[in-house]
Amino acid sequence: MSFFRKFTAQWAERYRKMSIQMVLSLSFTAVAAAGILLMGISLIWRFSSASEQMVAENSQRVLAQANLNLDSYLKRMMRIADTAYYRVIKNSDLARDSLTGQLSLLYEANRDDLVSLAVFDSGGALISAVPLSLLKPDADPAGSDWFQAASLSMENLHFSTPHVQNIFGDPDYPYRWVVSLSHHVQLTWDGATEGGVLLVDMSFSGIEQVCRDVSLANGGYLYLIDGDGELIYHPRQQLIYAGLLEENNRTAAGYRDGSHVETFQGQSRQVTVKTVGYTGWKLVGVAPASNWLIASPQMFLFGLSLLLFAIFLMAFLNILISARISDPIRRLEQSIKELEGGREDVEIEEGGCYEIQHLGRSVRSMVSTMRHLMDDIIQQEGQKRRSELEVLQSQINPHFLYNTLDSVIWMTESGQQAEAIQMVTSLARLFRISLSRGKSVIPLSDELEHARHYMNIQQIRFKNKFTTQIQAQPGTEELYTLKLIVQPLLENAIYHGMASGEDDGLIRVSARREGEDLMIDVEDNGLGMPPEVAASLLEAERPQGHTKGSGIGVRNVHQRIRLTYGEGYGLTIFSEPDEGTLVRIRLPALTREEAVRRQQGEVL
Amino acid sequence: MRGRRNNWAELGILGFLGLLVILSLVIPQLFRDQGVSPLLAISVLLRDTDSSAARQGMEKAADEFGVELRFLTPSGQDMGGEQEELFLRELDGGAEAVVAVPWDPESLYAALLRQKERCPVVTLESRMDGAAGMVAPDNALLGRQLAQTLLEEWDGGEVILLNTAPRCTGVAERLQAAREALEEAGVPVRTEESLPQDLEGAGWMLAFDPAATQQAAERKETEELSLMLYGVGASTAVTSQLERGNIAAVAAWSDYAAGYLAVRQAAEAVQGGSGPLSPLTFSIIRREEIYEPENQKLLFPIMSSSGR
Repeated sequence: MSFFRKFTAQWAERYRKMSIQMVLSLSFTAVAAAGILLMGISLIWRFSSASEQMVAENSQRVLAQANLNLDSYLKRMMRIADTAYYRVIKNSDLARDSLTGQLSLLYEANRDDLVSLAVFDSGGALISAVPLSLLKPDADPAGSDWFQAASLSMENLHFSTPHVQNIFGDPDYPYRWVVSLSHHVQLTWDGATEGGVLLVDMSFSGIEQVCRDVSLANGGYLYLIDGDGELIYHPRQQLIYAGLLEENNRTAAGYRDGSHVETFQGQSRQVTVKTVGYTGWKLVGVAPASNWLIASPQMFLFGLSLLLFAIFLMAFLNILISARISDPIRRLEQSIKELEGGREDVEIEEGGCYEIQHLGRSVRSMVSTMRHLMDDIIQQEGQKRRSELEVLQSQINPHFLYNTLDSVIWMTESGQQAEAIQMVTSLARLFRISLSRGKSVIPLSDELEHARHYMNIQQIRFKNKFTTQIQAQPGTEELYTLKLIVQPLLENAIYHGMASGEDDGLIRVSARREGEDLMIDVEDNGLGMPPEVAASLLEAERPQGHTKGSGIGVRNVHQRIRLTYGEGYGLTIFSEPDEGTLVRIRLPALTREEAVRRQQGEVL
Repeated sequence: MRGRRNNWAELGILGFLGLLVILSLVIPQLFRDQGVSPLLAISVLLRDTDSSAARQGMEKAADEFGVELRFLTPSGQDMGGEQEELFLRELDGGAEAVVAVPWDPESLYAALLRQKERCPVVTLESRMDGAAGMVAPDNALLGRQLAQTLLEEWDGGEVILLNTAPRCTGVAERLQAAREALEEAGVPVRTEESLPQDLEGAGWMLAFDPAATQQAAERKETEELSLMLYGVGASTAVTSQLERGNIAAVAAWSDYAAGYLAVRQAAEAVQGGSGPLSPLTFSIIRREEIYEPENQKLLFPIMSSSGR
């Protein structure tokens, strides 16, 4: 039981590891092989049955013919006996006549079949015999089986089993095997009748000739037995007599006429029996079962070859069919695997039969929906982040506002009305451009205007500790840019480059076009910083702080640009300590129409 | 990766099935080639007195085992030398096996050793070194039982042990066993290597080969001797002498079986499949027992008209 469970588990494990094509081809092949085997076994069984029947019919036919021949031979012997009795013995009075002459004639006429003809009286005394006429000195005819059988049953003719003729003396001593036919006869002596026995010794070779040339199908043979199973003729009789071979003759004597199957010495064989008339002898035909079950090893191997070829063909076809069925599924699986692996341009397979096409379409639709959803989410996230950054950037630092207003108050109180007016004007312009009616993209001229007003305010606040130069290459001012991207860089330049420096500070803003890009440089000659610090300012992993030295404003600008225009755009910082810092903004050079179109695309 | 492994597995299954198909087509051809095997050439060296029943048995075996037999019988005075000469001639002539009733087993063996290429030799009656088998009754047992049969009727007097084939080991074994049994019973024995000229006063005689038995029986009949003769053999001549009362009893075995077994053993030895042989069964038959059914089968083989 545990073995069965283990076996089942092993198969289940193998099944799980198998491809669908393997499962299909193996299953189909197993079912086909089982079917073919079943058909083969059925055919073999039918063939064997038919063959067995055929062999039985053939044996019965052959035995019937042999029986006819034997019957004819025995009838001839009986006719000889009848002739000897009714033509010779009955017509002779032994007191006057001798039987020898007429018996000799009869013998000569049938000498090929006969060994001797003899007549005995009821006491076993020899009356006449041909061709030999002398009994052996110690011969005892009355004690012989053939004599007693004839005396006991007077009406019938009796046939003995083969034996060596041993009652007549012969100078040459030719020991002959004979079958004795004996018959009770009425002898006439001087008109009176008394019993006697007629002996006709038939040559054994006569029976042998009848049986010898009979052959059964498939190497079978025929033998002859008497009613007790004693062998009369067998093709290997002397081997049996010598004890080198055995025959199942005693058992066969018990069989009724017809075909029987028996096992003898471990071999199954078909035995057909036919009883010979008058004698009670039985003709037995033996056909080895192995011969009719399977005609020959060649036939068996040919059948096996056909069977194997059919299985081979089925396996081949099954592999082709299963490959055709499973290939679209495998390709679909491969596509999904690639999809799982993160590849985006995967083509989803839609081949195969209806169900697989439907499955492919469903997967393709699902993938498409998923991609759109993902894109939407990414876009929404980007939008959200950009909005957040824009909101942050558009908020006026309260300190800046407070300081600016405080400066205006101070200037007003101190009678510097012109400067106060300029400062308030710049602040107003700053707010107006910051708002820009809600637009996130504005012309470069507005952005530089915004930077200029911011610097005006800061220069008043810092008492002209630095000077500012803002210039744009002709033709660039009509290009569009994200708003409020320069001001955070200026703020950074003021607070980190100029605040603690001398009065000769210079902050320069320049815009130019490079191919399809718009470049805006914000450069100062302030304290500068080591290049590695400059490089780390834009890193996304840099810890966020809200102090003035954290560079969060610069990083926000960088992220806004990249979220809006992609990875190829943004800021680049070049700096050397005591040399100053250059922050370069790279943007796509967008005309008004392009900027509008892009903004609409984002909204959509 | 798995798909490729499965493809290999499918290819393997197809290849295996294809191989089976090819094998099942090729094997019958091999069987067919083996089916037509040429006849084995086996030479049979007989002695002049060997019975036709033995020949019949040999021919039957030859028919069953696909053997072509060549019967050779020495005809001269020097039986041993002539047999050796015939033996060498047959070996040189390409005989695949030899069945021999050796007159002198030792010289035959010496001749065999001189040959570069040897072939299986099966002997009848006598044991020979280097032989692939010996077909014979248990000679010692046969000698003892024959002596025992004589003792049942012995009423005094010397027993002549006739040893007409002194170099024949089978005959020597029978004689030796008979001598021991007789001497043990206190019977005086005398060994003669040929039939004595004067048998007038002889009362008992044991002969150990069919030829000697037949010769002694004929002498008894001719000279009307009162000799009680016990011999061996199942030939017609020996049987007729037994029936006529010239032999008191014989130890008989089936010459037909001996001939059949010898050729079968030789054929199997050529094909490399011979096994050990059991001794032949024998019977002690007296005159009155000749026509008992079992003795009839033993003494009078059915001479088939087909020659088998």
